[in-house]
Amino acid sequence: MSTATIQDPSRTRRVRGGSAARGPVGAAPLERSRRRMFWAFTAPAVVVYAVLFLLPVGYAAWTSLYKWDGISEKKWKGLGNYRILWQDPIFRHSLGNTLKTLLVGGVITFVIAFALMLVLREMNRRLFARSVLFFPCLVNAMVFGIAAGVLFSPDGPVNQVLKWLGWSHPPQWLATEHLQTMILGTLVWTATGYYTAILMAAVDQIPEYLYEAAELDGANAYQRFRHVTLPMCWEVISVCAVLWTVSSVKVFELILMYGGSSGAQPPSDSWNTALYVYEEAFPQASTPQLGLATAAALVSLFLVVIFTVVLRRLLRRDPIEY
Amino acid sequence: MGSTTGRGPRLLAIATAAVLAVGVSACSSGKSDQGAAAPAGGSGGEAAKSGGSFSYWSMWRKDEPQAKVIQAAIDQFTADTGIKVDVEWTGRDVAKKIGPAMAANKAPDMWDQGADSIYGTAAQNGNAQDLSAVLGMTIPNDNVKVSDAIPSKYWDSLPKDPKGGQHWVIPYEASTAGVFYNAADPDVSAAMTSAPTDWDGFIKVCDALKAKNKPCVASEGEDSWTNGLWFDYLVNANGVNFADLADDKTGASWDNPAVLKAAQQTEQLVKGGYIIPTYTATKYPAQQTNWAGGKAGFLMNGNWVTAEVAKQIPATWKYGFLLPPGASQPDSMVFGFALTKNAKNVAQAEKFMAYFLQKKTLSGISTDAGNITPRTDIPAPAELTDVQKTLGADKLRLTFDGVAGDWSTKVWNQNFLDFWHGKTDAAGFVAKMKSSQVSFWKTQS
Amino acid sequence: MRPRRKAPSLPMRIATGAVWLVVAADIALIGWILLTSLRDGTDILNHPFGVPTHPKGANYGKVFSDGGFGRAALNSVVVAVLSSVLAVVVAAPCAYALARRRNRVSGAMSMTFAMGLGVPGQVMVIPLFIGLAHANLDDSQPGLILVYLGLAMPFTVYLLTGFFAGIPAVLEEAAVLDGAGMLRTFTKVILPVARGGLITAFLLQFISAWNETLFAIVLTHSQDKVTLPVALSSFVNEAQLNGLDWGAMFAGVCVVLAPMIALFSWLGTRIIQGMTVGIGK
Repeated sequence: MSTATIQDPSRTRRVRGGSAARGPVGAAPLERSRRRMFWAFTAPAVVVYAVLFLLPVGYAAWTSLYKWDGISEKKWKGLGNYRILWQDPIFRHSLGNTLKTLLVGGVITFVIAFALMLVLREMNRRLFARSVLFFPCLVNAMVFGIAAGVLFSPDGPVNQVLKWLGWSHPPQWLATEHLQTMILGTLVWTATGYYTAILMAAVDQIPEYLYEAAELDGANAYQRFRHVTLPMCWEVISVCAVLWTVSSVKVFELILMYGGSSGAQPPSDSWNTALYVYEEAFPQASTPQLGLATAAALVSLFLVVIFTVVLRRLLRRDPIEY
Repeated sequence: MGSTTGRGPRLLAIATAAVLAVGVSACSSGKSDQGAAAPAGGSGGEAAKSGGSFSYWSMWRKDEPQAKVIQAAIDQFTADTGIKVDVEWTGRDVAKKIGPAMAANKAPDMWDQGADSIYGTAAQNGNAQDLSAVLGMTIPNDNVKVSDAIPSKYWDSLPKDPKGGQHWVIPYEASTAGVFYNAADPDVSAAMTSAPTDWDGFIKVCDALKAKNKPCVASEGEDSWTNGLWFDYLVNANGVNFADLADDKTGASWDNPAVLKAAQQTEQLVKGGYIIPTYTATKYPAQQTNWAGGKAGFLMNGNWVTAEVAKQIPATWKYGFLLPPGASQPDSMVFGFALTKNAKNVAQAEKFMAYFLQKKTLSGISTDAGNITPRTDIPAPAELTDVQKTLGADKLRLTFDGVAGDWSTKVWNQNFLDFWHGKTDAAGFVAKMKSSQVSFWKTQS
Repeated sequence: MRPRRKAPSLPMRIATGAVWLVVAADIALIGWILLTSLRDGTDILNHPFGVPTHPKGANYGKVFSDGGFGRAALNSVVVAVLSSVLAVVVAAPCAYALARRRNRVSGAMSMTFAMGLGVPGQVMVIPLFIGLAHANLDDSQPGLILVYLGLAMPFTVYLLTGFFAGIPAVLEEAAVLDGAGMLRTFTKVILPVARGGLITAFLLQFISAWNETLFAIVLTHSQDKVTLPVALSSFVNEAQLNGLDWGAMFAGVCVVLAPMIALFSWLGTRIIQGMTVGIGK
């Protein structure tokens, strides 16, 4: 395929030494035409992005300062909606669930993904295994939510297996108090393969000679991991952490459909901030609270911003050149 | 201030439209100007008599029996009057869609839902039009007035909109909730020789079933609505109105000993081990299916449950129905049509409402959809005859005394489920409800 | 790949076994979902492990007729394909310009696009709902396509900028020397070379549009406008009143799932690479 040559952009970029390379001949006209065309090229995307993305975000921020049911006049509330959120035990619980997903889920996912990556690297047929583990992240989470409803029902397949293995009173997986944990587990399971694949790709780019050098210096497997693998994919880890932050704050359909029933609202114990936004803005039998809902959405945006900044700072290391 | 409110969305709208024109004008995949919100072909107010149209979002999906009944009526209506109906089978989510749609001026003329939903999303804010005119209309063919065909108690029980009106819905399906059982089940008939007259009597029935290793009560543990009906009935049996309980901003209403007593009675079911095991860990309709399979004695639910399990019950099944002992009045839920705030084709839609109430048309709700109609001269399906009798009472009480919406979501659902799952005891539940209610009302300003 | 130097240690062998166990469980799960979609509803509840003795294709008939999955599948394809094509068409020139022109303006622009990656969808869902309704585009495919197009911008621009940055500038320098304009250079020289990247960007956008649920639920509701995730969720919803048929429900699940299986078996490597290689850049 003609594309083979650009499959690894990093390498070519290194060879070129950056894209702004100036050829000795023809550079001036090229530069001029680039300047002229730059705006023509970027305009459509910038307009689309501004209108369909940035404008809504701004509008959300503006709406969050009003009390509004969507029908009558907006009523100025200032930061009142945020104060209500703070006082609302359900929102605090939802925020707590979001944070739990973010932190607990994040740590578990990364530990497992790292372990998987290390094992997969040494395995035969690792590409096949990686593909299978990767696949769940391409599937709408509702699929697994619905499947879990049958799999983990009291007499479902999982408990039948457990009983067959001699566990006479297997857990009540889908009880409301376990729901949050089950959802977290499902989420970790779908995400782990993805992060494993990212880590594998990053580790594959570590030059072999570094390991050879380490081995010559007498480093054992752990030391090689500690002093070569870990530092070399640090940048990728920090990007992954940011990715996880965003995606864990967005979790929606999994909670909405977990267990295969969405007739009523899911129990509020399992809500996260995304669910809270949805239920406040599109309630079944009460007045929509669009101001409050957008305020809740903005809180989740703040959460992402704060975490991204903190994570980038915490995980910052000097980039390693090789 | 007033002028700025509209500007944001309009700007967004113009910009969106501009992008659309640039980006997707070539896209042929369906024009968006479907008739949903289009005004009736400009022929003015007198159009009502000579055709015209109105739009309707339905709470039913196209494949549901109620939808088929309504669709048939629409076809006949159009043939008879020349009025076209733009119907969208939106499903139960219509309640979620209608508010925002009214906000955007994209709402249909008419929609339908349970009265609690219509009230919560529209009527309580004055966003449902008064339908008193319909009550005075004559139902075609039957030649009776709507107000004569449908007992006024169905409206009298409803909460009032800001103008004090109760005629914001025209009901076409009536229902109540209660305890259903299979009278032909030998275990049940042995345990319950006569209907219990007080709560202790019911607990004795449960004990008798328990002795036979049969769970007394089936329950979808995730559902705070059906399970909460036990408490709703019991608290009413103890003389407390559920709405008064929920509306008290100080939470002091929960200190009433009668409330604690109702909670303790409810708790007997939980702590007594009478509820079908595993109920906390299943999803609807697993336990309802178990009940239909004879694995539990009683099921608390709305009377639509008979239609839901119709295919699962054995041929020998014989329906029995009772209210939690002590409760004197069945509760009532009606489903019906409402008009949106800015409905344009009022005359046409109202005409249809009256049209649909014709005996031959409305009978489909009973014969095809297996439910009860508010017209007393339409017999309920055989299995609901007893239930229809209880709805014959002079006065009706709304389910949860009309409490629904935000309070249910934020105060009731989780606290009651914790209680129903045995995580809190009666006293703890009452205390939790009180404190949640106080903080809830604080956020409602 | 890298030559193995020594025999795996015992812990490693156990770990390898565990990984294969998980892999097997994953495959079993998908297989079980596919099989269950062919079984009878009550049979599933009684014998969750059974094999469909009488494969019940009727389940699929039911979701396509009653659940409206046929129309919804068509809508999903239309919306996902068109929004992805548009996303690539709009984003590619921008990404190219950003990759080639490195100065303060383009840096700020790239940064602004990248910041979009951090905005969770729930922030925009209410404004977009209101905006589309005012533009008369709610509950319509063009509306949903536009929304997906907007949502796709940050990632697609980000991804493609990386791809274009990897294409040697010599190529277009030669073209310019031959007298070709920038636009011509882009369409005749760069795009053919970048085809792989464009396809990947299309694929990834297609996948996320295919699975997108929040916006679809909020923005569409009539039965001939909804996409598959909405159809599935309302099918599960309405099943309440008709007695839940797990067989049909799993058939519905499979309609959502199967295209992803097919796509992944066909283009798996490209998808994985697209979603991983660009990340560390």
